[in-house]
Amino acid sequence: MSHHKLEVKDLHYSYPDGHKAVKGMSFCIHHGESVGIIGANGAGKSTLLMLLMGVLFPSQGEVCVGDVHVTKKTLPMIRQSLGMVFQDPDDQLFMNTVYDDVAFGPRNYKLDEKEVEKRVLNALELVGILHLKDRAPFKLSGGEKRAAAIASVLSMQPDILIMDEPTAALDPKSRRKVMELLTSFKHTKVITSHDLDMIFEMCDRTIVIKNGEIAADGVTSEILVNAELMDACGLEIPLALQNCPVCGITKV
Amino acid sequence: MANIMNSLYNMRLLDDLSRQETVIHKLHPLIKLLTTVSYLTVVVSFGRYEIGGLLSLFLYPVMVFTLGELPVKPIFLRILLVSPFIIGIGILNPFFDHQIYLLGGIEISRGWVTFLAILIKSGLTVTAALLLIATTGMDRLAGALRMMKIPRIFVLQLLLTYRYISVLMEEVARTLRAYSLRAPRQKGVHRSAWGSLAGQLILRTFDRAQRIYEAMCLRGFTGEYHTGGFKEIRVWDLSYFIGWVFFFAVARMYNIPMLIGSLITGVIR
Repeated sequence: MSHHKLEVKDLHYSYPDGHKAVKGMSFCIHHGESVGIIGANGAGKSTLLMLLMGVLFPSQGEVCVGDVHVTKKTLPMIRQSLGMVFQDPDDQLFMNTVYDDVAFGPRNYKLDEKEVEKRVLNALELVGILHLKDRAPFKLSGGEKRAAAIASVLSMQPDILIMDEPTAALDPKSRRKVMELLTSFKHTKVITSHDLDMIFEMCDRTIVIKNGEIAADGVTSEILVNAELMDACGLEIPLALQNCPVCGITKV
Repeated sequence: MANIMNSLYNMRLLDDLSRQETVIHKLHPLIKLLTTVSYLTVVVSFGRYEIGGLLSLFLYPVMVFTLGELPVKPIFLRILLVSPFIIGIGILNPFFDHQIYLLGGIEISRGWVTFLAILIKSGLTVTAALLLIATTGMDRLAGALRMMKIPRIFVLQLLLTYRYISVLMEEVARTLRAYSLRAPRQKGVHRSAWGSLAGQLILRTFDRAQRIYEAMCLRGFTGEYHTGGFKEIRVWDLSYFIGWVFFFAVARMYNIPMLIGSLITGVIR
């Protein structure tokens, strides 16, 4: 299905203060792919996501979702097929109950209230927090908040899921839960993270960003084990692949 | 710090209460809003010395408390929260208004009467507003406001402020905690840090507002706030409203406690 394709051509972006955050990125993500975007702090990951979602517009180059260019005019359509989960769920959960939050998107698209209810309950069930639907978002735990944020995007039935640090600030069990949840989705996924172990497990393809440019783009199992490349980009190979601190066995 | 966090959790009590399913809770939000507005209008319309007439209006909150099965103590505590302001407004009356007023043979200054009237009026109005939130909930209330054609920008402002008070308070609590850990043996925040502390908070508020707005836009927000459908206004809802408005009107025109009093004394004679 071509409309699930996400293509970026020669993307450039400078912030108003002159800082060049993205310098000529190009890549194409196909239907069903799960892509990790990694890079050191300030490499341009978040800016790239903002450009993909049409929150920022490139100073040069273009972003295409399916065959549609991301422009001000096409935004409503684009945003229906791209769902973004923010790094801080508190930015995303702004209503007074979890139910209303998950219903926010569908209601904005003027769906019939019955359809809204169906979608909300469906999304909440999918992430396993149906029992929390009448709770206030601020009373939830970190993992529950994350799940609610994911549900609020799923209720819009996007084709492509974009996630900024989905496992940040979660305890190991909640992190595992979120990972299992994400793996169970058949959507095309774009995930940025510093949790390289998570990327290693969940993404088949990885794009490494360094100073606003693509330093590498390829199969995860090849890129993440390349210690030299990782080091040059301010990263490290995933902990799971590093030497065992107890027995000292070298893994890579 | 503990105080801030406690009040944070207590703050949502009204929301929790609003999720009950009593006769009052099931009423249409618009009806409850209109009833409350007419109640407030009537309470405020009483003159400075008309305490007797005001007394009959106690019936409304008492009925809502009872039918809505609401706990009296926590709501009463919230009313007390505003009492310092009210006392501040009314406390000078007894000093300025020295005319004598006869109450059952006892002479009191008219200032005290007006002070008492202010206390009763504010108590009743604040109670009515709190009861409205405790039986309706902020979301449905916002929906009712929209039905009354209140501009969406105000309604949205109200809702978002209500939602993000908790986030702001958490932020304040965190900042204060960080401050107090590095400023031992200080009571509160030293005035030299007030500016930067408030400045930091406002900058963070801007940042967060920007991110929230982006999150809203990404989910198709175009400025209109949708609360989802409301049920139709039923005959029962309407009769509730008409019943109360009738009572308020009667209470405004006739001094009911006095009528009852004279009726009883008449019978005794």
